Amino acid sequence: MITKVHGKHGDAAIEAKGIIKRFKSGRGYVEVLKNVDFDARHGDLTMVMGPSGSGKSTLIAALSGLLRPDEGTVAALDQPNLWKLSSGKIDKFRLDHCGFIFQGFNLFPSLSALQQVTTVLKYQGLTPDAAKARAKLALEEVGLGHRLHQRPAALSGGEKQRVAIARALAKDPQILFADEPTSALDGENGQVVIRLLRRAATEHGAAVICVTHDPRLEAWADRVIHIEDGVIIDDQRRSPDPEALLNSALAPH
Amino acid sequence: MSLALSTLLFEWRRYMAAVMALALSGLLVLAMTGVFIGIGKGFTATIERSSADIIIMQPGAKSLIGGPSGVPRRFIPLTYNHPAVVEVQPLDGAGGTFQSIKEVDPTRSQADRAKQGAPRQKFVQSSIIDTTPGSVTIPTDYSRELVDALRQPYTVAVDETALKTLGVKLGDKALYNGQTVTIVGVTRGYPNMMQPGVVMSRDTLRMVGQADTGPRVGPLMIKLRDPSQATIVAAQLNEMGKGQWKAWTRQELADANAGAMFEEGILVIIIGGCVVLGIIIGVAITWQTLRGAIMANIKEFASLRALGVGMGSLRRIVMELSFWVGLVGVGAAILLTWILSLLARSNAVIIAMPPLLLIVVGGGLIAISMLSGFLSMGILKKSQPADLLR
Repeated sequence: MITKVHGKHGDAAIEAKGIIKRFKSGRGYVEVLKNVDFDARHGDLTMVMGPSGSGKSTLIAALSGLLRPDEGTVAALDQPNLWKLSSGKIDKFRLDHCGFIFQGFNLFPSLSALQQVTTVLKYQGLTPDAAKARAKLALEEVGLGHRLHQRPAALSGGEKQRVAIARALAKDPQILFADEPTSALDGENGQVVIRLLRRAATEHGAAVICVTHDPRLEAWADRVIHIEDGVIIDDQRRSPDPEALLNSALAPH
Repeated sequence: MSLALSTLLFEWRRYMAAVMALALSGLLVLAMTGVFIGIGKGFTATIERSSADIIIMQPGAKSLIGGPSGVPRRFIPLTYNHPAVVEVQPLDGAGGTFQSIKEVDPTRSQADRAKQGAPRQKFVQSSIIDTTPGSVTIPTDYSRELVDALRQPYTVAVDETALKTLGVKLGDKALYNGQTVTIVGVTRGYPNMMQPGVVMSRDTLRMVGQADTGPRVGPLMIKLRDPSQATIVAAQLNEMGKGQWKAWTRQELADANAGAMFEEGILVIIIGGCVVLGIIIGVAITWQTLRGAIMANIKEFASLRALGVGMGSLRRIVMELSFWVGLVGVGAAILLTWILSLLARSNAVIIAMPPLLLIVVGGGLIAISMLSGFLSMGILKKSQPADLLR
């Protein structure tokens, strides 16, 4: 399989082979990822599910160039092996191509919603005006057009996560990593967030890789991968239902 | 507005310790140095505020305070040879004893007399003016009334900050070198913490027997037709003198006087000690504060790293932040020193704040802050985005 930068829906965006990651524990080692093969495609919302300690977070850290695996290769977009690059080049790769959404929102308390987004865009080399215009667009897309100048303290949890999503989406990433993006949110806000991720895949053609242990999110996924004890035990394709409801209380009776 | 600046403004409480540490280090050095420069100014205020545009001294003199500065009397007519010179007067002055007059019972013990406020002898520095209207030796801020009053024989003026020390008030009689003088004026803005000063006319100085009457006189104070030509005329006078004298513009001499204090070894040790102490305190506190503040935002920094912002860019943010902290610290240091100087001035202590000193100390504080920022950069290594994935 060949990974591409600007692939059509269904083209491979990232492909990992034989990933092994061990952590030191006492005198011995714990193998967190045991020879994992993984791929994700443009336009897909790929859900990585598993219980705590199953290695799902370690997997996306290895895929995204944040944590060097002990063995294995990661082909991502135009890079045949991400881990052959220098750490500066890996940073540059992430800056150009990757978006990240974390469970915690990790927004600078001193910056307004707009500034949170423009700060990253400026590092991409955009002029202040271009960065501002693009940030505005991204925030409007996540429904925060009216909250541009609020600081995180004035935003609700759901709004903060939407700012974090706008910060990731404004870069127009080809790969979007999300780590438990809904677990700090209530059902209603969780639904807004998962729909935004769905849209990033469908409308922007990004390969969205979402780590979660919330089984209700499966309804939006094109593909669900189950991982347990560092081994992929199940890999299913399914038809997503973009209109699914997260909170059963919100479902029509 | 940059990330660093808006973080500093929004979370100013977090950075307050660093700013205060810098401000106090700055205050320590500024106040110490300022006091010593101020002591120098206390002795030379009458000259610096005189209407002399040029002062002529011996060629070897480095300032008015240290070293021989007087010249032969025959230089006075020589300097009149320059067409731009309109008036030349030698500076004169002396030191003497000063005692207020108060009736106390002489049969009491000394301790009892002291309790009643018996007069004590003080040593004073006397400086002179010529009472001809507009004379070169009259400081520019003297009123006409003061000059008129000092024209009377056996009269002196005292600075308001010295009144208490000398135990006199306006209109009192006192003893100067055993001769009765009258306090006819009180000046403002001539404090001297080391030794109180009195001002009298050249004629009064002669009457008390202390004027220069021999072949040598003090430095020559020269008034020009056009004061803006001072630099050029000083150069021409130096040429005319053929090395017999050296002509200084008033500003040159003022700068030299301020610097002259620092040729004293002990002052260099005291101020050097303050500088070292200030640097140690400043760096230690600023470093730890910056470290803590960066640590508080470490997750946000890590998320920037995850989005591909490199370590170099994060380091630049930290350096920019420490620059702004330094700049605010400089502002606070100058403000504190200024407030202290106002307090000090009301107690006859001058804390001088020459711009050069402010620039040097300010630059030093920013350097301290940047050094602290550099030291605290190591903490950025903790911004591991992989730690956010759990």
